[in-house]
Amino acid sequence: MAKTGKSVKRLASARELATLVAGYYEECHRAKAEGVPVGWMPPMNGGIEIFYAMGLQPVFPENFSPVCAAFGAALSHFEAAEAMGYSSDLCGYLRNIVGYVHSDMHGPGVPLQGLPEPDMIMSFGGGCVPAMKIFHILEHRFQGAAVFRADMPQVAVEEIREHHVEYATSEMHRFIDFLERTTGRKLDMERLREVVALSDEACRLWDEIMSYRRFSPAPITASEIGIMFVMVTRQGTKTAVEFLERVRDEVAQRAHKGMGAVEDERVRLFWDNIPLWHNMGIFNYFESSGGVFVAETYSAAWSLRLDPDDPVRSLALKSLMSYPLVSCVSIDRRKEMVLKACRDYAIDGAVFHRNRSCVPISLGQEDIARALDEELGIPSVFIDADHMDSRSFSMAQFQARADAFMEIILERKRAGRA
Amino acid sequence: MEAVDNREERLREWASLGARPMGYLCTYTPVELIHACGFLPVRLWGGAGQVRKAYSHVPPFVCPYLRLVVERAACSTFDFLVGIVQGYTCDAACGVVNVWKNTFGGGICMNLPLPYNESASARTFFASCAHDLASRLEALGGCFSEERLGRSVGLYERIRESLARVGEMCSGESACLSAMDISVVVQAFFSTPPETYLAMLQELEALLQGAPRVRREGVPVLVSGSVLEDAGVIGLIEETGFRVVACDLCTGIRAYTPHAGTGSTPMERLASRHAARFPCPSRSRPQDRVPLLAGLARDSGAAGVIFLIQKFCTPHLADHPLVERGLRDAGIPSILIELDVEDTIDARTANRLETFAALVGG
Ligand code: SF4
Ligand code: SF4
Repeated sequence: MAKTGKSVKRLASARELATLVAGYYEECHRAKAEGVPVGWMPPMNGGIEIFYAMGLQPVFPENFSPVCAAFGAALSHFEAAEAMGYSSDLCGYLRNIVGYVHSDMHGPGVPLQGLPEPDMIMSFGGGCVPAMKIFHILEHRFQGAAVFRADMPQVAVEEIREHHVEYATSEMHRFIDFLERTTGRKLDMERLREVVALSDEACRLWDEIMSYRRFSPAPITASEIGIMFVMVTRQGTKTAVEFLERVRDEVAQRAHKGMGAVEDERVRLFWDNIPLWHNMGIFNYFESSGGVFVAETYSAAWSLRLDPDDPVRSLALKSLMSYPLVSCVSIDRRKEMVLKACRDYAIDGAVFHRNRSCVPISLGQEDIARALDEELGIPSVFIDADHMDSRSFSMAQFQARADAFMEIILERKRAGRA
Repeated sequence: MEAVDNREERLREWASLGARPMGYLCTYTPVELIHACGFLPVRLWGGAGQVRKAYSHVPPFVCPYLRLVVERAACSTFDFLVGIVQGYTCDAACGVVNVWKNTFGGGICMNLPLPYNESASARTFFASCAHDLASRLEALGGCFSEERLGRSVGLYERIRESLARVGEMCSGESACLSAMDISVVVQAFFSTPPETYLAMLQELEALLQGAPRVRREGVPVLVSGSVLEDAGVIGLIEETGFRVVACDLCTGIRAYTPHAGTGSTPMERLASRHAARFPCPSRSRPQDRVPLLAGLARDSGAAGVIFLIQKFCTPHLADHPLVERGLRDAGIPSILIELDVEDTIDARTANRLETFAALVGG
């Protein structure tokens, strides 16, 4: 039986990630200490590029949750949230961050010294309900922070029309006004163009890295998906671009040399939904029978391109598209993406993490699994778990399902060869 | 009661006579616009029963209302619909509409984005979204004009005004209809052609004017929550020693408060009512709801609040701790009851309610 817990990382550049993560959180604390305005915001929106362009410090409370899960701090935060009356049926990101901000935020056991208190909060209107509610609760918790209430149309990517883009763009302008008024800093449009160009380059590099996963054996697996940390927290910076370049070079080299992430790659797998942050090792579990995760939901999540010549509109479009692309707002587009990934990466089977904590990504999985079976003859298995809460995961049930699934695929492959 | 019990049969009959029923899930959907385009808006119901087939389409951790709606759809209950349009409220409802598109089909399966903010650009955005919906309905054989919208907006305003009067007549210490009856009256609104429904309401109002009033006993409470289809739950609450004096539910006052918007054009009235609605947590902040709920409790004479929340309903569950605390700080005690499929008030819950009645009534 493969060990689970932390995942095995093969890329030297991916091992660099721990330094990068720690560096980002150090930067957040330094910014606070030096009087740089700190703003808390949801991930996957164009606010981050505007922050970096204005020299402000963005902090992503949702992103801190996987850190807490990886450091084993999430359970105490859940308990704190549940003691306040937050239902255990709510998304683990919400329970973690609510418990965290109502506990000792910098106490012992808090990873990476925690988060610096916000001077500003970007609350919304838009995204999923738990993300919206996290910010309502944060507004209440940090009453001294200046609050911007954003409004983003929730519309399927394939249904975006000009009026959605116009409204989203006007919201971006309103956001810029708010930041200028609150911080007394002016946004330099030239600087924003540079930042957006860096962001675009990061997206391009991301696609390039993902394209090497078409090689067989695959040079990287889902265990390395933590590299998307830079796509969440460092979009629009040189740090992200330079890191991704290093990853790209290493991945390209491994692909061309035929160096697989797993020595004996026999089954190519797709992972749907958020990983189990508390148990990334389950990706490696499949390796004992030659299974490698060569694509996942997030592989295509950053396949956006931004136009530095029209930066505000580009960021509005990014904000409109990022969340729907990976959620039930755009099931059709998501299905298309999964089917395409399964064709492009020659996938043999799909693992659907039915994530109790995330309705938006879990809804529609049955449809997608059916389409995989009917259109591509690709089998699927459902794993019941929770991306944050280890209490909702049964190792025994997981192993039984995973073993049976791998057996079916290997049997099919044997029959195909015979 | 009959309008609710026999809704499937009636809707099939109306559909066979040329009505084009268009399904929706949440009351944020602009039904006036759907009606103005020549369709009959029908709020989908889950009803009671077991969930089996739905699990091939949705995970078990979405609210029982939606699980039961999908179950009904999988059993072909809604095959008289020409489509489904959902004013954006929660993730689960949004996902169900998209699943619906691929599983049960229809001429249109659409999530309509709606603004959260109140501003000039938000109102313009609302109007653009409404026009987008109108043109899609036109492509489905509908017909839209400002005059038609004006007539529909006016019709729905009269209905909501009348519902508010009926609700008012029955919320005092003596009334001729119980809170359970009112819940059924509101639910009939969701699946009856509005012209017919207005006539029924006017008849009811006339009857109520002269009807004898019965003294209502019990501790006055406000019931607050998401959707409550089983009006019997309200009856059971009353049996445990309460008198329900107001219902902040989408099957309660949220269906008709406020009854109208303001503005010089029908679209402005529609947009302004959307912004001014007595808010559901799916589209508002808990800190904004606390004073509204406290005000409602005060105005209706409620001594406490019973939260009736569908299991897994994220918007309501996520708001509950702050709302509960805000109300407590305002001197208003509350209790939370979560409802799952086939859940009603069991013995344990009844016990909790009795204790709560003693606490707030004492
Ligand atoms: S998208 Fe899913 S995981 Fe992320 S905040 Fe929303 S519900 Fe939670
Ligand atoms: S009851 Fe809650 S989860 Fe269900 S449709 Fe309504 S708002 Fe959404």
